[in-house]
Order: sequence, then C-alpha cells, then structure tokens
Amino acid sequence: MMGILASATPENSVGWMLFLAKKYMNSFWKGTWITLYVAVLGTLIGFVMGYLIGIVQDIRVNREDSILKRAVVRLIKLVCEIYVEIFRDTPMIVQAMIIYYGLRQADVAIGIPAAGILVTVLNTGAYMAETVRAGIGSIDNGQREGALALGMSPMLAMFTVVLPQAFKNIIPEMANLFLTNLKMTSVLNVIGLSELFMTAKTVAGNYYKYFESYLIIAVIYFVLCFFFNKIFLLIEKKLALKKDYILAVEYMDNQ
Amino acid sequence: MEESIIQIVELGKSFGGHEVLRKIDFSVKKGEVICIVGSSGSGKSTLLRCINRLEHQTAGKVLYHGKEVRDVQREINAYRSKVGMVFQSFNLFNNMSVLKNCMAGTRKVLHISKEEAYDRAIAHLKEVGMAPYINAYPAHLSGGQKQRVAIARALCMNPEVLLFDEPTSALDPEMVGEVLNVMKELAKTGLTMIIVTHEMGFARDVSTRTIFMDKGYIVEDDVPETLFTNPKNPRTKEFLSRFMAG
Repeated sequence: MMGILASATPENSVGWMLFLAKKYMNSFWKGTWITLYVAVLGTLIGFVMGYLIGIVQDIRVNREDSILKRAVVRLIKLVCEIYVEIFRDTPMIVQAMIIYYGLRQADVAIGIPAAGILVTVLNTGAYMAETVRAGIGSIDNGQREGALALGMSPMLAMFTVVLPQAFKNIIPEMANLFLTNLKMTSVLNVIGLSELFMTAKTVAGNYYKYFESYLIIAVIYFVLCFFFNKIFLLIEKKLALKKDYILAVEYMDNQ
Repeated sequence: MEESIIQIVELGKSFGGHEVLRKIDFSVKKGEVICIVGSSGSGKSTLLRCINRLEHQTAGKVLYHGKEVRDVQREINAYRSKVGMVFQSFNLFNNMSVLKNCMAGTRKVLHISKEEAYDRAIAHLKEVGMAPYINAYPAHLSGGQKQRVAIARALCMNPEVLLFDEPTSALDPEMVGEVLNVMKELAKTGLTMIIVTHEMGFARDVSTRTIFMDKGYIVEDDVPETLFTNPKNPRTKEFLSRFMAG
C-alpha cells in the first residue's frame, strides 16, 4: 500500500502529507533538531541573562557608598534598561536580519546557527529580565528584611531567600517563554537557518504542496510544545510545597 | 557608669515632608528590657527600624558601643548580626523549613559548623517549644508558632540586643499569650531587649524601663512603676487612661 502511495501520485491532502513526510523524513528530522537546538540553547542562555539583569536591576546603593560604586551601578542599570527596551520594542524577525547582516558586514565570521541562537538569547534575555524583575517584586519585602536583619548582605539575601521563591513563581512564565521561542525560531528562516519552517518551505516548493507541507510542521510544532508543556507542569508539581511534614518525635518530650 | 550597647543621638526621620521621629535620644545598657509604648503613628516602629538600619534616619546617629554605625553595607551587616530583630509579620523564610530558618543566619553569616548550627537551632527551638516542628515549613504553622520560631531564629545568632517590633500585633488573641510567655522567659535570662508593644500589662511586668512616645517625640522615659502608676506628662496620663479604660 505504502509502495503504491509513494510511487503513484497521492489523491488527497492526507496522502500528500504522508508522501512528503516519508520522502523528506530526513529533512524534517534535521529541521526539528535545529529548531530544538536553537530554541533550547537560546532559551537557557537567555534565562541566565534575564536573571542576571533582573538581579542587577534590584541592586540598591547606600547613601554613604563611594561615588565610584554608585556611578558604576547606575551605568550598568542604564545599559540594561536600554537593552531591554530595544529588544522588547522591535520584532524578532527584524532583529535577526539586523544582527546577522550587521555582523557579516562588520566582518564577524558568525555561522547561521550561532546567529540564530544569539538572536534568541538577546530576545529571551530582554523578556526574562522583566519577568525576573516582576518575580522579585512579587516576593513580600518582609522576606528580604528578615534576611537582612540576620546580617545577610543584600546579595546573599537575594540568593538564599528572595530568588528561590521568585524562581518558583516564575516557572509558568519561563515555560511560556520557552514555548514561544520554540515557535518563534521559525522567523529565523529569514537568515537562512534550516529549521522547520525553512524545511517546509523547501519541501513545499518541490511539489507545490504548501498546505500539506506546512501542516506537517504544524503537527511537529504541536507535538513538541505539548510534550514540553507536560514536562514543565511536572516540574511545577515537584517544586510545590508539601502538604504534610513529619513531627520530630525525638524532641517531643517536655514540650 | 556602665557603657551602653546602643546609643541613639538626636535621631530624626522624615518621609517627604512628614516628620516621624524628632530628636530621639536614649541609650540601651546591657540587661535592660525597654518597652516602647504609644499610640499608632507615634513613630515607635520607625524608631526600631532605624535602630536596625532597615530605615535610614534623616538626622542624628546610632552608636554601637560608642562607635557610629555608618551607612556602609559591610558595617551594617556586621552590626545587624549582633542586633537581632523580630518582626510583626514574622518574616520567616517561606522557602525553608523551621530548622533551615534557624540555621540560615548561623551558617551563612557567622559561618559556624553545621553541627554547631544544628545544636544551637535545636537548643533555641526547645526554648520556645518548637523543636518538634523542625521539618515543618512556615506555611504549616500558626501565627504564634511562626513568631516563636522567628524568636528562636534571632536567638541562634547570639545577639547582644534583640529588637521586637510589635511581635504580637498580628496574632489571634489566644496566641498572644504563648509568645509573651516566651519573651518573659527571655527577659529573665538577662537578654537585652527593646520591645515595641501595645501590651501594657506585659510592658509593666517585664520592662526595666518604659518609654512613651507621641508624635515622634519621646515624651516619657522611666521605670514602669512610675510611668504606669504616676506618669508625669499629661499626654502619658491621657494615653494610659484610655488604655486602662478601654
């Protein structure tokens, strides 16, 4: 049956989808792999960047700190702010073109996948910075004050008390960002990255079967996102507070 | 004369144009239990927060063993590790168990060994009757239990002075007693304490000195026997009569 399908011309869209999927299986695999590679790596590095910026934005200087320290902190904050603003206010597809061709023009030998990851990182970092800032802000200031009152430095208070709690609150938003990235890598076809969208475009052109070809990658995107969404839900569940605790019976006497 | 641990010199604090503290002067000697009373908005909590440097004063200074605590992070950290604070809203770390809450400061600030930090935590949790709950998280505990853990957490640092910012104001009436009892026991051990409170009976019984504040001023600063039974200032009289009547 499959042999006939492959050799004869398929009669309907489902047939065409199966035909194309089978014939270009390697291309679709490769496209999926590149999509995942760019999305995962770009998102992870972007998260780190977002956290760094979110934390930097939270630094407070004291009135009697040295002028140098205050100036440096202000400058770094300003640079972060400008970066976040620029990348949140321009489309990723335009950023991709400007960064890739800009670097090329400046004789920076950057490969297409590296450029794709860079664009994803910069984009994710900007959004993540805002998410982290909001996440930190969502934690009651008393938590920080409790830590400071023990003599912790503001940074130590951030890393031991505030950030672990903020992180938990941010997980759904991190999942959102990752799923968005997984789909947004499709715009990177404009710089020639052979991810899923590019693959579909190429395959479609061979037989002029656009609908079927893009339907194939729609299914792939859907399965990927569905799968990752489940993983994130699992992580969230794992990190949720336990409802019970065990009484330390060894200390129950003379209470 | 015995040297004071903390000395407040002409301390002033204003938020915008609003003056909350005006020329506050007083000192704290070892072993004193000072209760600060006064109506809401009189600046009691702000004063305590200034002493702990969670608020920055706009005038005057805070001296620790005769030396000014400057607004430089390292000095503030070192000072705070010696001057503990218990908050109205407990401020236990929600991401840590009771035990971890009590070991966070000793491990990460004082850098003592895990074993010693554990022993200290257990000892002080026993003192406040919370040792069986070492595995519980703050979300599992009642208000009174949280506050007792918060006190144990502060004690683990072996503070020279412990500040209490209305420690029972956020508690249900039946939980106030358990926290006040713990504090009474602490007072007996000779721990130096500054307590902002609305519990007049407690202030009269436990304090070695009571300070009455009004509109940002210290109106009266005396031993409780005098302040509660024979106040000199008419404002103190009025405040106390309202409290005793109501």
